[in-house]
Amino acid sequence: MHIPDGFLTPGVAAAAAVPAAGAVAYGLRHARSRLDERRVPLLGLTAAFVFAAQMLNFPVAGGTSGHLLGAALCAVLLGPWLACVAMAVVLTAQAFLFADGGVTALGANVLNMGVIGAVGAGLGLALAVRLLPLGRTAFLALAGIAAWGAVMLGALATAIQLGLSGTVPLGVVLPPMLSVHALIGVGEAVVTVAALGAVLATRPDLVAIRPRGLAPLVVPTAVSGRAS
Amino acid sequence: MGGLGVHALDHAGTAGRPGSVVHRLDPRAKVVGLLGITLAAAVAPRGAWVVPAACLVALAGVAWWARVPATVVWRRARVVLPLVLLAAAVVPFVGGGPSVAVGPVHLSVEGLRTFGAVAAAATVGTLSAVLLTATTAFPDVLRALERLRVPRAFTLTCAFMYRYLFVLGEEVGRMRAALAARGFRPRTALGAAAVGRLATALFLRGHARGERVYLAMCARGFCGVMPAGAPGRLGRAEAGFLAALGALVVPVSVWAQVA
Repeated sequence: MHIPDGFLTPGVAAAAAVPAAGAVAYGLRHARSRLDERRVPLLGLTAAFVFAAQMLNFPVAGGTSGHLLGAALCAVLLGPWLACVAMAVVLTAQAFLFADGGVTALGANVLNMGVIGAVGAGLGLALAVRLLPLGRTAFLALAGIAAWGAVMLGALATAIQLGLSGTVPLGVVLPPMLSVHALIGVGEAVVTVAALGAVLATRPDLVAIRPRGLAPLVVPTAVSGRAS
Repeated sequence: MGGLGVHALDHAGTAGRPGSVVHRLDPRAKVVGLLGITLAAAVAPRGAWVVPAACLVALAGVAWWARVPATVVWRRARVVLPLVLLAAAVVPFVGGGPSVAVGPVHLSVEGLRTFGAVAAAATVGTLSAVLLTATTAFPDVLRALERLRVPRAFTLTCAFMYRYLFVLGEEVGRMRAALAARGFRPRTALGAAAVGRLATALFLRGHARGERVYLAMCARGFCGVMPAGAPGRLGRAEAGFLAALGALVVPVSVWAQVA
């Protein structure tokens, strides 16, 4: 889903960069006011984890390969706006370190994976948690759906941007893009649910969006000196 | 677990002759210059071949000046470039308009042009990024971005992510040793479930260690600003570097936009 340099016309790249920059700027302001000390390592580590997870490619049907996105997982762990910052950081580092995703298409990539993926999934889940009395299973199921949806919406946005740029006609790029990502999304949902279930079971205090029933345990994390 | 890709960081360090003129330039000049080249290639009208050609000449000059061996550039570009070219290669098969027959298949002329332009711009972008990382350490890139007015909260998160990549890598090493010591050899699909639990354990252990790293940083006086070396300055070498790149790329870009 990483768009390289040259695939987008300057107009499309700029039009995608404006909302992406706005969302990241809002996320950064949010981070400055809300980020308590304990969450600094979590933000950095989640970003590092997503960075590493995105480098694992797995084969999808037809000789193509996909990778995990991590947007929904990030959103549940960090909340939608910090997750947006984390995804933007991951994508920026990938563009600068590995040329994975073009620097000139960074705005579009942040929009597709960070804003639509993380903010979309995060706000949706946060709303669901506030409105519905969710149990653990229902919450995990919703998180899985959010993970699948984040992948599909990101793929849809990518296809639309490529179509608008005249690189490939939209009618040609859309069906394979969506069908491949429908499969990738299932893998993403399985991984998200598994990881989230394990984190909720062991360290629910690390999860920003969680069902009301699961109150945070009071774990003196900073001084417990867990053996590792 | 394949090192979770963290070993790939070995491919992202500096290369070439560390004392070369390019390596010693202020990182800001390199970020601006190489980003400028990528930008020029990306905004060039499709079909204006002279622009990506000029960009490639400029990049070859930078690589030669920094003594980055072609093998290193090739090894690093190989990680992403084939995938990109493969993705672009579908375009000639699906484009409309007049077509040419190459053997049994018909390729759209318009599609071939688009493919060429997209592939050229993507190649320039990839090589620019490869040369930037080959001549500049990542923390220096971050410092340059910060001095170019990228918000500090953003570069700081980047810096923490970079630091924690190594924490994760080391944790993977320890877990691998523990797995080997217990004779873990996944042979069936059941191994996949174990790997899933390993990934979660890695996250939790990495977080616990990341917290200790952060506390140790705070204990040593960290207060939200990464320690910086001597501040670089934009002197004659930087001006010359940017002027040389600009002389190669700007005139042809302007000409291509006008024509």
